[in-house]
Amino acid sequence: MTKTLKPETAEQVLDAIKWAAGEGMPLAVRGQGSKDGFGRAVDIPHCLDLTGLSGIKAYEPSELYMTALAATPVAEIEAALRQNNQQMSFEPPNMGILYGGANGESEGSIGGAIGCNLAGPRRIQAGAARDHFLGFNAVSGRGEVFKSGGTVVKNVTGFDLSKLLAGSFGTLAVMTDVTFKVMPAAEKTRTVLILGADDAGAMVAMAASLGSANEVSAAAHLPEAAAALSGVSYVADAGQAVTAVRVEGPGPSVEHRCRALTALLKEFGEIEELHSENSALLWREIRDVRLFDAIDNQIWRLSVPPAAGANVVASLRSDIGGRVFYDWGGGLIWLSMGTLSDAGHETVRAAVADTGGHATLIRADADVRQRVPVFEPQATVLKDLSARVKQGFDPNGVLNPGRMVEGE
Amino acid sequence: MAEAKANKRVNDDLVEALRGIVGDRLSTTDAVLGHHGRDETYHTPHPPDVVVFPEATEEVSRIVSLCAEREIPVIPFGTGTSLEGHVAALNGGVCIDLTRMNEVIRVNAEDMDVTVQAGVTRKQLNKHLRDTGLFFPVDPGADASLGGMTATRASGTTTVRYGAMRENVLALTVVLADGRIIKTSRRARKSAAGYDLTRLFVGSEGTLGVITEVTLRLYGIPEAISAAICPFPDLASAVNTSIRTIQMGVGVARIELMDEVQMEAINKHSNLDYPLQPTLLFEFHGSEAGVVEQAETVQAIAAEFDASEFRWETKTEDRNRLWQARHDAYYACMALRPGAKGFSTDVCVPISRLTECIIETRRDIDETGLMAPIVGHVGDGNFHVIVVMDFENADEVARAKAFNERLVTRALAMDGTCTGEHGIGHGKIEFLTAEHGEAVSVMRALKMAIDPMNIMNPGKIVRL
Repeated sequence: MTKTLKPETAEQVLDAIKWAAGEGMPLAVRGQGSKDGFGRAVDIPHCLDLTGLSGIKAYEPSELYMTALAATPVAEIEAALRQNNQQMSFEPPNMGILYGGANGESEGSIGGAIGCNLAGPRRIQAGAARDHFLGFNAVSGRGEVFKSGGTVVKNVTGFDLSKLLAGSFGTLAVMTDVTFKVMPAAEKTRTVLILGADDAGAMVAMAASLGSANEVSAAAHLPEAAAALSGVSYVADAGQAVTAVRVEGPGPSVEHRCRALTALLKEFGEIEELHSENSALLWREIRDVRLFDAIDNQIWRLSVPPAAGANVVASLRSDIGGRVFYDWGGGLIWLSMGTLSDAGHETVRAAVADTGGHATLIRADADVRQRVPVFEPQATVLKDLSARVKQGFDPNGVLNPGRMVEGE
Repeated sequence: MAEAKANKRVNDDLVEALRGIVGDRLSTTDAVLGHHGRDETYHTPHPPDVVVFPEATEEVSRIVSLCAEREIPVIPFGTGTSLEGHVAALNGGVCIDLTRMNEVIRVNAEDMDVTVQAGVTRKQLNKHLRDTGLFFPVDPGADASLGGMTATRASGTTTVRYGAMRENVLALTVVLADGRIIKTSRRARKSAAGYDLTRLFVGSEGTLGVITEVTLRLYGIPEAISAAICPFPDLASAVNTSIRTIQMGVGVARIELMDEVQMEAINKHSNLDYPLQPTLLFEFHGSEAGVVEQAETVQAIAAEFDASEFRWETKTEDRNRLWQARHDAYYACMALRPGAKGFSTDVCVPISRLTECIIETRRDIDETGLMAPIVGHVGDGNFHVIVVMDFENADEVARAKAFNERLVTRALAMDGTCTGEHGIGHGKIEFLTAEHGEAVSVMRALKMAIDPMNIMNPGKIVRL
């Protein structure tokens, strides 16, 4: 019989997990449900629905951190930050659009963003979600309440449990609240566009931008098909590939850096510039992976050394086709394609393996995500070490078993 | 202090077997053993039974396998500059000194990363990078090994801008407690394949495995660098200036506090003539225009808090002298009292509580009558009180320890931590329990899952 447990307090989360551990009954851990389609498809009858744990617990803008209950919607947090001209610098993406789950376009919860270690275009400058994650309260799979970290920006108090929980997809412990850094939002944003660069040229242009003293906060490349889907007319109507480089900061500084970047990049193609509003929309589209055609059902996220990105894409194009765009200066490739029964996983993984990269199957139908490893398979010793970590936190295997690795 | 879970002792057989792996690169002499059981503090030395000097990961793997078979403790050792008894061989055992693993393996200028053997020191790395236009920013006071800095999750004066080790380690090669070798991550930076094992080892203080190779993120040397020294009429004004700077999001590369006692120490130690006032040191990195803009913003904030002057150090050699003086702060304190040694506290509090914490601490120092300058990575909310004292004087040691306990209690009451960068070792185990309670049992479960025989640096972070 399917059962949904909906705790309203951390104590009730503890009770639920103690019950599950005692009965050996696995729980599907769920926040706002915006990322239900992320990870291996698993069939867990009982759900630990955390939506009762929602709300901002502590936020004083001058403290530069916020504590929020785990299932607090990211949208609510961003609204509160916006009122104080602050932001989460890791730009958590809204995966709800990509998955179009039961809750429509829910932007997801802060616990989910951190639990999946998701970060947007500013990743290359500001770091991943885990780098902004200061501390938490949680219940382990053993049914122990514990906390780690706190509200300070650095500490060396034993094992770095925050880093371990970020990206653990709810398989080690259930966070009941999270504390993370907030930062002043930039006064001004501009995006320098290069029109018509091919993939290889764009990689060089992005590397030059990021290597310059202009404090670039994002760099992406949209081949013509991706650019055409943008809601920003300058991008969509370009009729050719668009490479985008973002600078943020105080007004005079941004203008100065835009001029310097224009001088640096003009050899790569015609230059255009986007102001605040258009910049915001374009980077939101890139962050939320919206620049793909609806006919493409399967989406891969490829992590590669930036210098290798264009070659990987060239080889994939000739092998399995599909459409791409690049973020993180070329280090992140979003690949979309029509439905393949094995999502082309061997081809995709072979192409990135040569570069020392890895591939994650971000979106595919559940039956595909049961057959195909969603996350890059690990070497034997690493797999064993990961299993020991899981064992240490959740020896009864009650938290999201199988979401990351089959059988664990 | 012995570890509850019993370890076995080293015998002649083991020493012979180790010799089979490393040949003459092994020592059992008292001088070498003594050197490897001691750190730079008042903690009682605990020498190991034997020290080996491997030159390759495979050798480390064979050494650890041998120890695992016999349930002998393994203590990794870099430069021995940790501060909380991290290297003490509490139950004896084999110390693995990694200083001979000092090769820079590969610089990838294009992807801005470097892979080094664990024994390479931070200064050696930056010297190696000199012609590449790149540098590695994390700079604790000592010229520590990068393996040790990784194991202790070190930070430094540039953490406010570039982050600490946890933000800058990309991948590791680790020898696990059973001797198996792992590489925690591939070369692609933004890794999301499974749990973040890289950062599990960053800060694990040798209790989960021996780190033998480290891949680090590098940065381009900024187009422009400028530094300034800024004395204030009182401590609160100096700290408030640093808080305002951070809250406004000014991207300073360094922002360091030294109180008037510390200024006197560095003047004496480095033959300088800075004013004897609470002082902030700043450094700005970026484009020419960016640096000017940041510096002007900070100068305006400092003026609001009655800074008496904003003195620029524009020449490279002046700047280097300034930062070397800051890095030598700990040693400079000894100049205040010949023959004495220093004991450093390490609390960190949320930035908004920093002024309150530092002012109360200064008052506490004055009431206790200790000689104890304050230095701080104030941009991170982290500061050190260096208690200059005679380690042989039991009364003084007791007063210093009581002072530190009050300081930690004060920081915890302000939602802070007992250690911002020095770590737990065995010196702060009790504080860890006070601060994190149940998390200690989670850490213990993790330790037992990864090192079930408790041979990896036993007695540090958690006791089994």
